[in-house]
Amino acid sequence: MADLSMISLRERDETITSRISGWWRSSRSRLTPYIFIAPNLLLFSVFVFFPLLYAAYISVHQWSLIDTPEFVGAQNYTRLLTDGQFWQSLKNTVVFSAATVPTSLILGLMLAIGLNRHMAARTLLRSIYFLPVVVSSVATAIIAAWLFNDNYGVINAVLKQVGVGRVAWLSTPQWALPSIILTTLWVRSGFCMVVYLAALQSISPSYYEAAVIDGASRPQQFRYVTWPLLRPTTFLLLILNVIYSFQVFDLIYVMTGGGPGFSTTMIVQYIYRAAFANSEMGYASAMGMVLFVLVLLFTVIQWRINRRTEQFV
Amino acid sequence: MTRTFDRRTILKTGLGVSAGLAVSGRVSRGLAQSPVKLTMAVWGGKAELDAYNQVITKYQAVHPNVSIRLDVLPSGQFYQQIDTKLAGRQAPDLFRATYQQVGRYAMSKAAVDLSQYIDPNYGAAFTPAVWSAVTYQGKPYALPHHTDTFALFYNADLLDKAGVAVPTSLDQAWTWDQFTKVARLLKEKSIGSYPFAMGWSANAVHRWMIFLYQHGGRLLSEDLKSPQGGSPALVETIAWTQSWFKDGLVPPSTSLKTAEPTQNLFANGTIPMMLNGNWQIPFVDQQAKFKWGVTYLPRDVAMADDMGGTCMAVSRDSKNPDIAADFLKFLVNEENMREYVSSAQFLPVRTSLVGSGLRFPLRSDEMKVFIEQTKTIPEHLVGTVIMPTWGKFASKLTDELDLAFTSGQSPEQTAKNIEAHVKGILLSA
Repeated sequence: MADLSMISLRERDETITSRISGWWRSSRSRLTPYIFIAPNLLLFSVFVFFPLLYAAYISVHQWSLIDTPEFVGAQNYTRLLTDGQFWQSLKNTVVFSAATVPTSLILGLMLAIGLNRHMAARTLLRSIYFLPVVVSSVATAIIAAWLFNDNYGVINAVLKQVGVGRVAWLSTPQWALPSIILTTLWVRSGFCMVVYLAALQSISPSYYEAAVIDGASRPQQFRYVTWPLLRPTTFLLLILNVIYSFQVFDLIYVMTGGGPGFSTTMIVQYIYRAAFANSEMGYASAMGMVLFVLVLLFTVIQWRINRRTEQFV
Repeated sequence: MTRTFDRRTILKTGLGVSAGLAVSGRVSRGLAQSPVKLTMAVWGGKAELDAYNQVITKYQAVHPNVSIRLDVLPSGQFYQQIDTKLAGRQAPDLFRATYQQVGRYAMSKAAVDLSQYIDPNYGAAFTPAVWSAVTYQGKPYALPHHTDTFALFYNADLLDKAGVAVPTSLDQAWTWDQFTKVARLLKEKSIGSYPFAMGWSANAVHRWMIFLYQHGGRLLSEDLKSPQGGSPALVETIAWTQSWFKDGLVPPSTSLKTAEPTQNLFANGTIPMMLNGNWQIPFVDQQAKFKWGVTYLPRDVAMADDMGGTCMAVSRDSKNPDIAADFLKFLVNEENMREYVSSAQFLPVRTSLVGSGLRFPLRSDEMKVFIEQTKTIPEHLVGTVIMPTWGKFASKLTDELDLAFTSGQSPEQTAKNIEAHVKGILLSA
């Protein structure tokens, strides 16, 4: 009896094993991609998806971080409609994005084209332009704040040498935002340059040879060969730069603290203030959700436009 | 006669002893027996940190089973980090806080009510202003550690050059008019790039209130329950402080949001006068290559100064609140307070030390000016800035004053906005 029961158990185990291996053989090709992306998905869930859900939950509560959240419904969202400072910070963010995104793309492309040619000290120049990207953004902001310092900054010292009076770069509303835009361009054009440079180097020389045989001039080569082939890169950079501009924080936090007045207060700066200066985590989360929706909408629109344009091309 | 014990008696006795040990163990467990680790979160310069470490070493020598780690956080993000740790139930056992923050932590019970660890008369040993600052609804939520205040630092070489003599006693302190005249004279004679600057810093807009009280104004009514409203003093004080920027008497970079460290500007000779606190003495003493001194704050219809300084609280997340409280009492006892304030250049808050002629290693004469200035701190000002809602007032006050100083917002509009914010915050509270 004992032998018989052992045999039946072994048979059962073998059946299970063969079923599992059969299932795995038939599903392997379907499941393998998920296994590869699982670590990333796990990190994404822990650090992005669940915090996003939690932010949505907090956005309908009143919470000072150190007490118990209290449900307030849509109150935080309706408050946004009448909060002038929120709209001012949104306007500042749009102005900042409009000034930095296209300009850094154009500067990056110009630098990439220039440094894609054979010239002396090419590697050194590429490194110099790329350096602000690899340096910590807080360190960059501190350097920029020293350069623009009203009282002992290098820029004012140079201006003094050429007879121009002291400019209160970071202390007056008319100059503070341009100073921050200039610093941003200094950092971001280097990043765009490197990405464009990689894209330029991946274009096969045979396209240019064909264009030359067809009698295309330099501008025509750029217009009909380079630019269309750079389109995916431009699209990627556009999306990344818009997201960066909408989420800019550290540079402004260090250089101006959002002042003078509200002249350099961007939306993330305002969210930070609501959360940690005013202890209004619910209101800050509501603004964060609005920012999320705005960036998502912009990305989707851009993606659709790009897809339609690619179809035409 | 031989007395015998039955099982029931032994059980009762055993339970009684266990309960007694459990109660007494609450206080003495860590002090006498098992190893205990505490964390104390602070911010501060080298002198302050050295002074904290000195007290910790002394305490650990007496209680070898207790080890205390000093967690030094950046001052600009201090409360943000503490609040985040509290939200995650991982706050340090002890944390430093300004008196303006105590109400917030007490109201949300993030700090422990210390009345269970101290005698009922314990507070009588401290100056009434600081004891009321750490008390919420009649219970202490922190113990006062030290205070500090503001005065006027001056570059003696540059003021001599301009022929300006500074006041030598509190009753001779310059009036607003006299102070403004001196500033204009320095500007006319191009002595320094700008005549002076005020040492605002992050989250310290309460220092502007000094001028409001000097001019006879206030934000809240006598009972602190409603806005003061309609007082010309508010508009006039805004106009006076705004005129510093409009007339080029202070560097534009020294407004509230773009606050540049004024001690740097003073030490490198950019400004001949600086309104700042006693804790700047070690820095100025080390950096300034000229003769300098400290005189009294200007005054208007009244004298007024700011109650700065910090206290120490036990967090609700502490696993050993009894030991943390014991260390806290040790930190603020008379001997340790004397040593701390002397070495870090602060002012004591124990009444026994206030008039005791403390000796400071640096600039004892200048420190006397600050000690005298503490007599001018208005009680109503203290009551206002220690309200649990002060953080919200401060944020709006910073916004509105910065708009007036840097963006040309009129004093009338600024006052109107401030009053509306005060009303709104009081209503929502």
